Amino acid sequence: MRLYPLILGVNFSFTGDGAQNGTAVGFGNYRELFDDPLFRTALSNVGLLVLLLPVAVAIPGLLATFIYLKVPGHRFYRSVYFFPAVLSPVIVGAIFNLLLAFDGPLNATLGSFGVSPVDWLGDPDLAMVIVAGVHIWATFGMSLVVFLAGFATLDAALLDAARMDGASLRQVIRHVIIPSLSRTIQFVFVTTMIGMLTSMFGLLYVMTTGGPEGSTYLPEYYIWIQQGQMNRPALASAASTILFVIMLVVGLLQVKLLDARGRRTDVPGPSGMVVGRHPHVTARAGDDLPAAVHRQRRDEDAA
Amino acid sequence: MRQRAMWSAVLVVGLALAGCGSASDSGKATSSDSKLVVWDWKSGEAFAKSYLDKAKADFKKKHPDVTVEFVAQPFDQYYTLLGAAIQAGKGPDVMLFNGGGQIRDRVDALVPITDYVAEDKQRLAGWEAFTKDGKVYAGPVTLQGYPIYYNKEVYRKAGLDPATPAATWDKFVADCAAIAKAGAKCFALGNKEGVGIQFWISSLGSTTLTPQEYDAWIAGKRDWNSANVKRLFQTWKEAGDKKMNSDGANSTAMFNDSFAYFQSGKAAHVMGLMSDVGHWKDFNEFLTPEQLGVMKAPVVTAGTTPSMPYDGGIGYAVAKWTKDPKVAADLVRSLTSADALKAFYADAGAIAADTTIDVSQGGPAVSTIVGELKSGKPALHVALSSKTIDLMGRLSQQLLSGSITVDEVVKQLAASDQAG
Repeated sequence: MRLYPLILGVNFSFTGDGAQNGTAVGFGNYRELFDDPLFRTALSNVGLLVLLLPVAVAIPGLLATFIYLKVPGHRFYRSVYFFPAVLSPVIVGAIFNLLLAFDGPLNATLGSFGVSPVDWLGDPDLAMVIVAGVHIWATFGMSLVVFLAGFATLDAALLDAARMDGASLRQVIRHVIIPSLSRTIQFVFVTTMIGMLTSMFGLLYVMTTGGPEGSTYLPEYYIWIQQGQMNRPALASAASTILFVIMLVVGLLQVKLLDARGRRTDVPGPSGMVVGRHPHVTARAGDDLPAAVHRQRRDEDAA
Repeated sequence: MRQRAMWSAVLVVGLALAGCGSASDSGKATSSDSKLVVWDWKSGEAFAKSYLDKAKADFKKKHPDVTVEFVAQPFDQYYTLLGAAIQAGKGPDVMLFNGGGQIRDRVDALVPITDYVAEDKQRLAGWEAFTKDGKVYAGPVTLQGYPIYYNKEVYRKAGLDPATPAATWDKFVADCAAIAKAGAKCFALGNKEGVGIQFWISSLGSTTLTPQEYDAWIAGKRDWNSANVKRLFQTWKEAGDKKMNSDGANSTAMFNDSFAYFQSGKAAHVMGLMSDVGHWKDFNEFLTPEQLGVMKAPVVTAGTTPSMPYDGGIGYAVAKWTKDPKVAADLVRSLTSADALKAFYADAGAIAADTTIDVSQGGPAVSTIVGELKSGKPALHVALSSKTIDLMGRLSQQLLSGSITVDEVVKQLAASDQAG
């Protein structure tokens, strides 16, 4: 029952549209797709989103770190950061449409500093990055919560130890937090990726309708246009099949990566603690020794 | 692993070779004898109530034993839902369509109603938009056209005479310079969806193309290399280059941000609609009937005569799978009856397909529009396929941003037009 509609969809992708409805056309739809510059734009935008993925993960990660480190006002920020996550993409899109309008408040503010107005959503080079940015803004609250949950499993003694050693904030993040939270980070990577590829329709629909110049098309939006507006269900089926394959490949790659990383992070980390699957095994005897001993020990471990 | 890969390959090749079934439509009868289901995106609106009451009463007289159920669908999802119904081969018996590409692309799922509506042929206008290969597929309810509205107040501020708007393109461009000096834009333009260009080529079509070229275009024999066809896109580019349009046109939604811009008096002109939204009745919310004018298209190519571009706006069609097409066609006739359409005009502010309706109370703008219907012609963009229109929208955005030439635009449009 689960596979039947899927197979039916794949089957449709090998049939024609309109006058050729129901007749086999082999890979005709697929050829047409790859000849269509719009579909190629949609695919390259998927690539752009993948490139933006580290940013989308780093933002909630960093902010969660600050909240965990109890920067002043962290309670307030914790709820503020989560707030957009409860808004529907349509509302978020409408809000940012107003903010980013050519005669909107953002350009007005820039204007007061003497900066000439920017057509944020009307410039094909900018629009996709802007929409992706808004998507990240709207959804990072959820990842932030996941990160905070990850932090809950982090042993505070580790951070104290690092601080005692005189580690800077950057060093703490790099050598303590990232290794300890590697599983959480991987989980956020996977969910953010899925979110970016499958949940941006609402934003695109409201903010750019695929434009300007077709620069903000994503496969999902392309499928909707072909099916709903162009009356090309078979072509849409072919595009859906390709999207499915992309998701499958990306998903499998991530699962593989996750597995490999999971195994690798079971070994002791560079600062001498066990990270990964056993975050509770966090320190070892002698942590109360002077910093010099730690450094020596770390060097030994690295060697 | 290898075995799995082999099986996948076998499945793909098998499907590619077989490609059986179909992605749309199989055509099964679903309606019961005594009930007709109608899909539209209007019946949920308050203004449609008296229109529907009149239509239902008219239908009841002809078929007292048949009940009618109206299902209002959200417009932004309408064709997607309809597409799914067509694919499944079951759905409403009667459905509302926009004229032009939207209905022509879906005639496979419809019954030609040419013979059933023969009596209404004279009384109603706008049939062309619902006709394909000589067969009529829907009865027109409203007319949709693309008049150029102007704000007489802005004209006065710019020192122009609101009674005599420019008759030629050159004079028009000069007037726009005066309007710019007075601190307003010439056009309120929203081209985020790529719709602005559709209104542009249709509004200026009659004064840019020769009558022969115009008729050939509508008949499907479009010469994309003709100098006048190129001129349609050159004037679009010129308006962009000369900053005649409102700022940020490519990120401004036509519905309804650009119309709001016009109503607020920030722009002198807007290429609007006759029915539904962005029309005379909508604008009267902020502009008094006396402030709102409708002008003839300025002459771009010497020797041409302006005419109002319009087509059937929306119309009801009959699905192929309905049990008795005659009964369903009778419902279409009731939905386009004189009384019903009169109510639609009065309540919705649409220009109804029945041109015998008296509109003298509606103000000067609507009287001008209706007065020009007699000499009107089908709009240029309505004759294009959805695919070409979609492409034209994107190319028009590129023209505004300066990343494409007019020659390249007509080349791409010609290729798309010939392909389908």
